[in-house]
Amino acid sequence: MLFSSLFFTFAFLPSTTIMYYLAGAHFRDIVLLVASLFFYAWGEPIYILLMCSSIVVNYLVANLLGRNDFDERQRKLFLLGSLALNLGCLAYFKYFGMIVDTIAAIGCRDFNVIIPALPIGISFYTFQTLAYLLDVYWGKIKPQRNLLQYALYISMFPQLVAGPIVNYADIESQLSARSLTLTGFSSGLRRFLCGLAKKILLANNIGLLWMEVKTMSNTGVSAIMAWVGVLAFALQIYFDFSGYSDMAIGLGEMFGFRFKENFRYPYVSRSVSEFWRRWHISLGSWFREYVYIPLGGNRVGRWRLALNLFVVWFLTGIWHGASWNFVAWGLYFGAAILLENLVLRTRIARWPKVVCHVYSLVIVTVGWVFFEFQSTPEIFNYLKLMFGLADNALIGHFFWAKFRKYSVLFLVCIIGATPCPKNVALLIRKKNNKVYTMMANVYYATLTFMVTAYLVGSTHNPFIYFRF
Amino acid sequence: MNGEKTPVVQNIARLFPFIFIVALLASYLLLPTKTFSVRERRYLAQWPSFHVEDVLDGSYGRKVEVHFSDQFPLRDFWLQIYELCEGQSLTQF
Repeated sequence: MLFSSLFFTFAFLPSTTIMYYLAGAHFRDIVLLVASLFFYAWGEPIYILLMCSSIVVNYLVANLLGRNDFDERQRKLFLLGSLALNLGCLAYFKYFGMIVDTIAAIGCRDFNVIIPALPIGISFYTFQTLAYLLDVYWGKIKPQRNLLQYALYISMFPQLVAGPIVNYADIESQLSARSLTLTGFSSGLRRFLCGLAKKILLANNIGLLWMEVKTMSNTGVSAIMAWVGVLAFALQIYFDFSGYSDMAIGLGEMFGFRFKENFRYPYVSRSVSEFWRRWHISLGSWFREYVYIPLGGNRVGRWRLALNLFVVWFLTGIWHGASWNFVAWGLYFGAAILLENLVLRTRIARWPKVVCHVYSLVIVTVGWVFFEFQSTPEIFNYLKLMFGLADNALIGHFFWAKFRKYSVLFLVCIIGATPCPKNVALLIRKKNNKVYTMMANVYYATLTFMVTAYLVGSTHNPFIYFRF
Repeated sequence: MNGEKTPVVQNIARLFPFIFIVALLASYLLLPTKTFSVRERRYLAQWPSFHVEDVLDGSYGRKVEVHFSDQFPLRDFWLQIYELCEGQSLTQF
């Protein structure tokens, strides 16, 4: 089930919420767990067995790791065994197809094997589990004794499908006791609506522009059109992904959980390193905490630093999808960050602000080309178009047609990707709280209406020939 | 001014989106099922018949979702709003 579906917002969410609040303190966890399993099983009934067995096995292993009567060697064995099991599952379900394809391409050998479908959310819950096991092993946290609460931590539906990756230590206390307030509920609901609107109203519509440009790019578009196209993609993926995170954080708040922020206006960054501290924060911190720092972090020599960054960014890239273009995308950022670490750091500080913003935006935007196109010829074709190396025009009439159609939406998206709207809202609240309250009520009511109309509209497939 | 009344009104206003969602769900459950949409010139999805295989491969869930969106309360009204928005939307010239 997707958050951005009519059924989720108007059937699953209200029923779950009502049952959760009526259940009373003792049964709330059970209601939320059952709802989460139902949510997961809705589109993926078979893989629920995989997730449930992962929960039970890792619950047991963590409790073994937490006991004092094993020596260090035994504990290490438990840890390595469980890591291998979790990573093995992820490797098989997510990367098996890629490995087979790659071997076939290199060795020209065709394997006649069945490639499994990707279980929803496996990347997210595996990473949460790995972090949990390592933290227990390092003694940072005590293992959860209550299986119900551990199951809830892994499978809680707000963050199950698309993150954020929640650290156990951050919500440990909330699992056993959480405060439910009307204010928390309503602000969570507002956050959810904001996220839904980001996805339905902004991401989906600006995505149409990118689809048009992407289709046209096979036959060639002007340089400016190519840049605008990939910027539209940059905005689409930002509103899509940060919208999902907003929905998750909002839903969590409605049920009394506080998740950390996952996006902090990444496109206002002044360096690539800063971009990655603002984009998908929970994933970045995961890699820093559980890969980069254990490898020695940046307190090492130049070559070792390069190797550490290579490993981290190779993994970050491939985490995003089982395809080599994601590896290229990850390594591209690894190289940029290495360059910033070794050479640019002191210089960037002296650059004018505007130059810093433009520099980071250009690097990030070019990066999205690697992310979006799967094959090398497509990637290079598009990069050539962007830099005018394909004998293409600078502007072209296609651009002006799209400019008329999309300029307002484009502008709204750009403003929406900065902290400006939030700052204006805070300013109004500071000046006059009553006016702010009224405006906020009207704003969210309008948003609810618009989102409903667009959700219904997205299920409408008009008989297209009647339009001609 | 009565100090206790304001928060209640404010809370209702803040909770409006949720009340709205619950009201639409209730209408979906209470209103009779429609068979044909004049506006869309098509038959609307009916509640799917139950088969264990459909549940296991996830298609039952998808059919229920289609039923939900086809039988959504005031569907024609929402479609009209949608088309109105799209007509003057940011993506049209």
